[in-house]
Amino acid sequence: MTRSSGLARRVERVCQAHAGRVAVVISGLVLAFLWVPIGVLVFMSFAEGGVLSFPPEELTLRWYQSFLQNDAALDAIVTTLTISVPATVVTVLLSTMIAYAIDRYVFPGRSWLQLLATLPIIVPLIVTGVAMVLFFNGTLGLPNYLSVVAAHVIRTIPFATLVILPTFMTFDRKLEEASKDLGADELRTFWQVTMPNIFPGIVAGGLLAFTLSFNEFVYTYFVKGSSDPTLPVYIWNQIRYHVTPEVNVISVVFLVVAVSMVLLAVSLTRVNLLARGE
Amino acid sequence: MAEKGASTLAATSAALDEVTAFLRERPRLRTLGVAGPPYAVLLVFFAIPLLAMVVVSFQDGEIGGPWTIANYTAFLGSETYLTVVWRTLQISVKVTAIVAVIGYALAYSIVRFSRRTTLLLLLVILPFWTSYIIRMYAWINILQSGGVLDSTLSMLGLPPVGLLYSGPAVLIGFTYVWLPLAVLPFYASLTNLDTDLIEASKDLGAGPIRTFASVTLPLTANGVVTGVILVFIPTFGSFITPRLLGGTNNIMIGMVIENQFKSAFNWPFGAAIGMVISVVVVGLLIAGMRYGGGLFAREVEEP
Repeated sequence: MTRSSGLARRVERVCQAHAGRVAVVISGLVLAFLWVPIGVLVFMSFAEGGVLSFPPEELTLRWYQSFLQNDAALDAIVTTLTISVPATVVTVLLSTMIAYAIDRYVFPGRSWLQLLATLPIIVPLIVTGVAMVLFFNGTLGLPNYLSVVAAHVIRTIPFATLVILPTFMTFDRKLEEASKDLGADELRTFWQVTMPNIFPGIVAGGLLAFTLSFNEFVYTYFVKGSSDPTLPVYIWNQIRYHVTPEVNVISVVFLVVAVSMVLLAVSLTRVNLLARGE
Repeated sequence: MAEKGASTLAATSAALDEVTAFLRERPRLRTLGVAGPPYAVLLVFFAIPLLAMVVVSFQDGEIGGPWTIANYTAFLGSETYLTVVWRTLQISVKVTAIVAVIGYALAYSIVRFSRRTTLLLLLVILPFWTSYIIRMYAWINILQSGGVLDSTLSMLGLPPVGLLYSGPAVLIGFTYVWLPLAVLPFYASLTNLDTDLIEASKDLGAGPIRTFASVTLPLTANGVVTGVILVFIPTFGSFITPRLLGGTNNIMIGMVIENQFKSAFNWPFGAAIGMVISVVVVGLLIAGMRYGGGLFAREVEEP
């Protein structure tokens, strides 16, 4: 009994003494686990002999050139943008309305709205994807383009709302009251007082929505027909049937888009906003 | 021309004024105007499709087919499919456990021992925002036989492992994609933790392990439950990772659904499997909210 408690005390003391160092080692290892694969991906996009030639004997820009001459891949980028850009605009509009309604108004069904705007994160993508293909394509007979844009809007609304809602909540409401006291109505107050203050949050929400939509695969894969693939669907087909070093180049494209969008979004709000995503 | 533009603008703004005046008198209509459109979109494009899936799962062979429960009996009566469900459960539990331990250790290290919190958090979050498929492809590069891992091992004079298309490859892939997602709620609950409580525990003579087990962990249980749910649910429904990294021995339930929509074309059967996934997910959510949260809360209240 005393021996075991003595041992426990010694273990506790060792922990106390080395905790800081252990924490640094853990952080370093996990961050390496997260970033080494991405580094490998970028590095191998310059490998002369393709993906199976690690370590590469020579570095080259050849695969970047062949990517720029690959019409199928470039078309896929255009297809993705024709879906992601309108989807982002719609999502930003709707998410701002959701945030405004939830923050300012008390109405029956308010908590349902909040739940509905969060649920798409929780319901497995494949379940929603199946439900969408059944309803959009099977029951409604929606045009393909419209189905895909609607799917992207549903995919991105929860994340945009998560970013935009806190900017409404932290905004000092006294400014609005002052504006109304000075005779401005609600709409004018919104545009001239509220909007300039929440604008960074809305742009950040839009940037993240665009990033998600640009990467979106599961809903698109189910809802969209096989013609005109988006870039993620194109890359999925490439990986499954014939891997070429060009796929590494396209990966770099995805990385550049994601990293620049997120860094921009973070600089507009604070990284903590993203961390509150629970 | 400019004058005309100005007069149109004035007319528009006058009309807008009238509209706002009209709405100010009718707050309900105003609320409907703001909340209505997003509500309608979420109902029509998200909630109703899910309900439609429930309906279709009871139809035979095609949408609008005769009513039947055959889709469910075929699925639940097949040993092959039940094996797939069981394997999916096992993989999801393993992944959730691995991610929870590593993610919590990382979040704890960042919150308690790091000064560059923002930078570290950013480094953790960034990979999450890149394409899921690209992140899987990165691991194909590394794990395939003759890939980066094997080459590195052979440079060190070790035999190749050729991990691609194996169980461990699937676990590595899932851990890689969900780790950032789990760290966020862990981080949030750890930063909200009152550090005075930790100091108090130490003042009363508890060492770091005891303090962690009896103060830190119970008080961050909410964050842990959130993280566990955020990892388990998408893993259970996944088909990309097992398809790309798992090969034929690691078929998960999501792949069976994909198959129904991409090659077998039995949509109602696919809908029924989607329902099976939903039931497991809803069950887990209820358990997570009731059991997980409540259990820890009660322990804390005891003197």
